[in-house]
Amino acid sequence: MLFSSFSFGLFLPITLLLYWAVGFKRIKAQNAILLLASYYFYGLWDWRFLFLIVASSLIDYFAALAIKSSGNNSKQKLYLYSSIVWNLGVLFLFKYYNFFIDEFAMLFNMQQDEYAFSTLNLILPVGLSFYTFQTMSYTIDVYKNRIAPTRNLLNFLCFVGFFPQLVAGPIEKASDLLPQFNKKRAFNTEEVKEGLRQILWGLFKKMVIADNAARIVNTVYASPENYGSLALVYASILFFFQIYGDFSGYSDIAIGTAKLFGFKLSKNFNIPYLAKSVTDFWQRWHITLTRWFNDYVYFPIIQKNLRNTTRRNVAIFVTMGLIGLWHGADWTFIIFGVFQGVLMISERTPLTKDRKSSLYHKSLIPRFLLPIFSLLFITASSILFRSQNIDELRLILKRIFSFIPSETIGSLIDKRFLVFVFIMMASEIITRTKDFPLIQIDKYINRPTRWIIYYIFIFIIFRYAGPKEDFIYFQF
Amino acid sequence: MPDPKKTLSIFSFSEAQLRFLKYCLVFFTPVVIAYFVLELLVLNIPINYKVFGNYLKTHSQEIEIMGLGSSQMKCGFNPAFIDKRAINLSSTSQHHNEDFHILKGTINRLPKLKYVLLEVSYNHLELPHHPNDYWKNTIYLKYYGVNAFERPTWYKDRLVYLSNTRFFSYKLMEYYVHKSSTEKLNEYGFDTNKYDGAFKKLNHDETKIAAHKFSIINREDLDVFKKNTAYLFEMLDYMQAENLKVIVCTLPLYKTYLNERNPNVVRRRDSVLGIIKSKYGNVVLLNKETDTLNFTVKDFLNENHLNPDGAKKFTAMVNRTIDSLN
Repeated sequence: MLFSSFSFGLFLPITLLLYWAVGFKRIKAQNAILLLASYYFYGLWDWRFLFLIVASSLIDYFAALAIKSSGNNSKQKLYLYSSIVWNLGVLFLFKYYNFFIDEFAMLFNMQQDEYAFSTLNLILPVGLSFYTFQTMSYTIDVYKNRIAPTRNLLNFLCFVGFFPQLVAGPIEKASDLLPQFNKKRAFNTEEVKEGLRQILWGLFKKMVIADNAARIVNTVYASPENYGSLALVYASILFFFQIYGDFSGYSDIAIGTAKLFGFKLSKNFNIPYLAKSVTDFWQRWHITLTRWFNDYVYFPIIQKNLRNTTRRNVAIFVTMGLIGLWHGADWTFIIFGVFQGVLMISERTPLTKDRKSSLYHKSLIPRFLLPIFSLLFITASSILFRSQNIDELRLILKRIFSFIPSETIGSLIDKRFLVFVFIMMASEIITRTKDFPLIQIDKYINRPTRWIIYYIFIFIIFRYAGPKEDFIYFQF
Repeated sequence: MPDPKKTLSIFSFSEAQLRFLKYCLVFFTPVVIAYFVLELLVLNIPINYKVFGNYLKTHSQEIEIMGLGSSQMKCGFNPAFIDKRAINLSSTSQHHNEDFHILKGTINRLPKLKYVLLEVSYNHLELPHHPNDYWKNTIYLKYYGVNAFERPTWYKDRLVYLSNTRFFSYKLMEYYVHKSSTEKLNEYGFDTNKYDGAFKKLNHDETKIAAHKFSIINREDLDVFKKNTAYLFEMLDYMQAENLKVIVCTLPLYKTYLNERNPNVVRRRDSVLGIIKSKYGNVVLLNKETDTLNFTVKDFLNENHLNPDGAKKFTAMVNRTIDSLN
């Protein structure tokens, strides 16, 4: 079920009515409704994979309890590793197994029919990378004594399967989300209104910005050999707005939906196109994923040696490579991650003997060069991210740097769509200190005007929505 | 807020919640009303799918020939020039999976159906099929009574405006506001006025056309090719089992388009056509893709679509092919 679908438009109010109608004092009943609704939401996509979610939840639930109850450190480690092996194993099996088999066979020059029997015909369960990371962090945090394990199975199942963030995040830490299932949730009209406004803003970004950008990007990337340099660069920049509108729009809807139920989810985007450096970009883009990799990969590698440059560079390189691989099993994603890592390391390399002379520490990119930096960085990353495989990547780069004239670029420029992109950017930049542009609008604007604004947004969404596209991050 | 423990009812709402519910009701009612007004207005527009649907209903007992395919077939086959009762259920971007659903979904209503005209265009076999939630499935359901969703349908699946708000908003503006629609559909749903393409704008000047840029998908995709070919054979097996005669056809393309085709895609498609010819006794090929003798620049709407004059010629060829089968 897509957030932008009619089915969700029916599912959400029904669930919400049931949830609040049982009364805020009945936490168990509310959580049970949430769990059933979440499993229904996920099961509509493919009910068979519900077993996988339940299995992952149970394994981590019991592993955490076993870690806590076991006084012996080696036993605790055994339980922790069991949980990690299960989570990474499932992820590897569904997401990476065929990729590694293919690469292994290529390495030894094997023909496809020689190893075809070893590959698996599996589909990737929606949201697998998101919920496995969330449950895995729970057991690691319990092992590290950062949090106490929960004994309430229902709450834990809700924490893993909470439908607003189940399939594409934000990836929540147990310490942030799990306690919210234990607490009474009071119906707060203002919070609910904020939630609805955030959903409206998210739908605008998804259906008007992302889906319209997809129309142009898909046309160009379907046959890049037909387009010149400028058209390819234009499509790649639009791809950034597609993926930004898509994913940040999804996050807004997820966060807004959670607010309707009295939950608070983490912010996942902070106007990434205003980034002053690559490092800054990753602190603004998919914030919860960056936080996860910082907590569980980057800091464990550097440990306390923050001043050890080699170790730090290795940590950056490994972390970014893994972030690339997290996005998908293809060399383009690995190169994408490594590319980000190399840029980050170079940003942190001192320009003089003074360590703080690095681009990162000084934010040295002059203001007037900032848009050019952003444009170059976004274009390069988009090409890496959007290319289906290495051959396509090579073809696109070759065509861009051959400076082939783009005579058909006029047919790709949709002025109305660019106006919408401008509206989105302008609104976000003007309200950059806030979570989203429509927040607390009632403080400044009276009700009739507010309603007119909402109706205009609804009209724009209906009238100018692009062709329905799946959320891009579902595939991860 | 009533204490839930003291009330017999499982459900209870607080005053604040009830107030908010009213607030939502007042806010969303105009949206719902506006939506249904738009839906009614859309249903009133005489689009070709609606004409196809009506024709299908009124002539179901007489139809002997069915045309299936994409926009090339839609522009190239005018049932008005066929001796037998025919219907053209092709539409823009329609792929084989939709063709197959349409055929399976209507065959029981067409007792006299004997011939199927099936398009296998240049890149048909290397373009992925549309997903099950493709917007046109609503159109097929609404106007043809065909369920192409591959799941049980419900009320929402019949809401036409919602299926593609962008497309139907454009249609609404065109029909009610600008009154600029130039479509002139005949009783078969064929647009007899469709001359206003790129070639007309260039005055059919071959020098200008040679310099004209157009879009062509030359992408090679072996996985899609294998899947689509297997699907095509499944369709042909079905038609054979139903005792249907099939005219597998390729429609004329203008020479600039022909020159831009990817030879690998052409070779693979042609090899499939060869297999079909040798494997299926009920199939004849009508391969007119490279027919530059019968189809001149004046017959084309643009590089890969015929205009109504070209359609007249192509339909006459179909007619002769069908006659030769008897």
